Amino acid sequence: MHTLPQQLANGLFLGSTYGLIAIGYTMVYGIVQLINFAHGEIFMTGGFGALTVYLVLPHGTSLWLALPLMLIGGAATSVLIALGAERFAYRPLRTAPRLAPLIAAIGLSLALQQAVHNLYPKATSPRVFPQIPSGPWHLANIDIQSGDLFTLIAAPICMVVLALFVRKSRTGRAMQATAQDPDTAQLMGIDTNRIIATAFAIGAVFAAVAAICYGLRYGQVSYDMGFEAGLKAFTAAVLGGIGNIYGAMLGGLVLGLAEALATAYISDIPGMQQLGGQAWAPVWAFVLLILVLLLRPQGLLGERVADRA
Amino acid sequence: MSTALLEVTDLRVAYGKIEAVKGISFTVNQGEVTTLIGTNGAGKTTTLRTLSGLLKPTAGTILFDGQALNTVPAHKIVALGLAHSPEGRHIFPRMTIEENLLLGAFLRKDAPGITEDVERAYALFPILGERRKQAAGTLSGGEQQMLAMGRALMSRPKLLMLDEPSMGLSPIMMQKIMATIVELKANGTTILLVEQNAQAALSLSDQGYVMQTGQIVLTGTGAELLTDESVRKSYLGED
Amino acid sequence: MRHRSLLVLSIALTGALTVTACGSRGGSKSGGDSASGTTVTIGVDAPLSGQNSATGLGIQYGVQIAVDDANKNKTVPGVTFKVKPLDDQAQPATGQQNATSLVADSSVLGVVGPLNSGVAQSMQQVFETANLVEISPSNTNPALTQGPNWASGTKVRGYKTYFRTATTDALQGAYAAQYATGTAKKKNAFVVDDKQTYGAGLAGIFKDSFTKDGGTIAGTDHVSTGDKDFSTLVTKIKSSGADMLYYGGQYDEASLLSKQLKAAGDAIPLMGGDGIFSATYVSVGGAGTEGDLSTSVGSPVDGLATAQDFIAKYKAAKYPGDYGTYGGYSYDAATAIIKAVASVAAANGGKIPSDARAKIVDGVQKADFDGIAGHVSFDEFGDTTNKQLTVYQVTGGKWVSVKTGAFTG
Repeated sequence: MHTLPQQLANGLFLGSTYGLIAIGYTMVYGIVQLINFAHGEIFMTGGFGALTVYLVLPHGTSLWLALPLMLIGGAATSVLIALGAERFAYRPLRTAPRLAPLIAAIGLSLALQQAVHNLYPKATSPRVFPQIPSGPWHLANIDIQSGDLFTLIAAPICMVVLALFVRKSRTGRAMQATAQDPDTAQLMGIDTNRIIATAFAIGAVFAAVAAICYGLRYGQVSYDMGFEAGLKAFTAAVLGGIGNIYGAMLGGLVLGLAEALATAYISDIPGMQQLGGQAWAPVWAFVLLILVLLLRPQGLLGERVADRA
Repeated sequence: MSTALLEVTDLRVAYGKIEAVKGISFTVNQGEVTTLIGTNGAGKTTTLRTLSGLLKPTAGTILFDGQALNTVPAHKIVALGLAHSPEGRHIFPRMTIEENLLLGAFLRKDAPGITEDVERAYALFPILGERRKQAAGTLSGGEQQMLAMGRALMSRPKLLMLDEPSMGLSPIMMQKIMATIVELKANGTTILLVEQNAQAALSLSDQGYVMQTGQIVLTGTGAELLTDESVRKSYLGED
Repeated sequence: MRHRSLLVLSIALTGALTVTACGSRGGSKSGGDSASGTTVTIGVDAPLSGQNSATGLGIQYGVQIAVDDANKNKTVPGVTFKVKPLDDQAQPATGQQNATSLVADSSVLGVVGPLNSGVAQSMQQVFETANLVEISPSNTNPALTQGPNWASGTKVRGYKTYFRTATTDALQGAYAAQYATGTAKKKNAFVVDDKQTYGAGLAGIFKDSFTKDGGTIAGTDHVSTGDKDFSTLVTKIKSSGADMLYYGGQYDEASLLSKQLKAAGDAIPLMGGDGIFSATYVSVGGAGTEGDLSTSVGSPVDGLATAQDFIAKYKAAKYPGDYGTYGGYSYDAATAIIKAVASVAAANGGKIPSDARAKIVDGVQKADFDGIAGHVSFDEFGDTTNKQLTVYQVTGGKWVSVKTGAFTG
């Protein structure tokens, strides 16, 4: 068990990325009850946006200098795609039966994958993403890779800023109102279309941050990276209680930890040798999801569904 | 002579192919209480939701304070001075009473004025002041109605529209709400009231309109309608 | 209730999305010039996008060059060859769909591919039924030619239309173990595979051979294709005290695993089979892959005098993908089909007969010529008689061959 601290850290780093993506699912669901299945691809385009910024910068630019610009470029790309999707795919379908926007989301997801696959230079196979050329750092028994360091700093900052924004800002209060009762929110003078677009945009910014975490961790971005990451993040959002931003982050962390611990220790349990290891981790994560939903159908923090939109 | 604050002319509203409001015209005068009565499905709530922009009319004009509202989006109408306390109260259940009131003043920028109006709402409904940090969803029906009215007043409206404020309330609570309407009128607020409780509503109205299946079938002052034979038969439960 | 339906919805969608993700992505346009006379199509099935696509593209363009050469040299008078590439995305189900559509195209008289052994399994029966010859430049799982019980010595050929120009993992895994224990002096290996037909088979053979050669197994684990995060597995490997990591699978996962392993401070080399022998392995894995080892089938194509013209053409055309892994074998596989077409046509007065497909199967079985990557001929199972294997090591950011030979017990 001497590897436990490292495995917990592995799970937390992984889970933070899931949580950041999950925010986008949960915010949009909280406000328009739409599961935006194209969110995984919004995450992916954020990664390519950041990569593009890096590629156009003069060769040899320090990554510490490039990172803030990549963040801006990635976020701008994601936000643009998310707002376009909201305006042209989802808004016209807002009063349609709920299956219609869902199908639109799946179609959009495939279309975005294809667009990057076919149009971005050399994107048919993974593109190399720049790496922070230092580390790992040792903290007690734990190794922290340079990519993880970015996650470690970015995820909590994003969460705190979002929590303050939703609770304290005027737009944040308007978001809560729109989530709870969109018609009445309009009677208060709230432009709900703008608020819905804002929710998409915030989700997209978080997805872009997550995409940079992903790129720095794995050293690559690929046109199909949004599929699995999106699925995991959606799972995290449901696990935490969809519609609840704290639930999304918690769900991400729980999912990451569950995967890490399942990979590391299930195979040590007598008789479970065949059911442990890396390949089985997602299975255990989904077992956990099903258990949680059986006992708490609303998810871990679901009591407060939609109130913290 | 009273001046018209709201003038509705030949208003038509449809849900898909079904027309719910079939060409109605009515006027709300400055400083008066005007009531729309009628049975369920007569088109009263549809009319109010159209006035506040949540529904779009298929024909007709809405002239409010000299401005046409037909194409103004809902979120801009409150800024013009028209506040709507919707049917079923629709308070924000998971926000506190105070947060609900503050949302009523969402478009206002004058912080001192807002604080003053919050205190005024608490003075009007002391129970709200006592529970200001409590989640609005935990209030009783009558208390929620007070909150909805208080919230609508927070925009300092020229015209306050109240949709079924007495629905589902106990007789005592209902009397309190009606007394509040009288009090608001005395303070100079113009009110457009939709009620199923015709007796109570008409007795405090200056002007009344009777709606039936999307049309206005009878008009008169509150007192005239109270004594009208057909109104007494259909809406006041008398044979 | 809302939550219950959300749960059902989420599970249903998970399934639906998985299915759509596996859906066909369609192939790129085949290079078709309007042919005079008869046109014969050589099908290519390989992953041309996503997972494994660098080596997959190497196969497509290896065939393309062979076809261009045949057209230029008029190898079969009156016949113009063209290539019909289909993308299987390394998915067995997609491969089977592709096989069906190649069979349905009557101008297709032979197929080169697939890349993955698991995909081959799903295609063999389709081609067998249609009597259409299939030559894989890269499948190395022994069961594909020798039947499921090959390890116990009961070798049975299942499909007479299936051939391969690559040698099998029975030799490759054993050759790797021999190098690891003998030359590299490794004693304690951690073995990971991707559960696929190729990866799991190769890892199993390596594990047995490594133990037989006196090594011990520090631990085993499995990953899933498409995994990107190996941090937990890396921690496990590190704490196992292994002095090498053997990986049965493809370069996509292997490069990330190696990179994450080295980043975590565990400097042991990763060794794998021909599935990781790709320039992309090094470019994605970066400095972490320095010193890593792989075996691959045949002799190094860069060092073969016969392959220089091929390499020059590949580079001149600026084709994407890695020609180094299977490009030469793909060229030879396509050439075997072209030569069979030539002999079938010659025997029929210069015309392609109506039962050409069956005759071409026989023709390929009798193939006997010197290809650009070695001698091409097939044994009674459809396996190549060329048993050459090479060990490569990443040195200075490039795969460099360190030992070539044939496995000798």
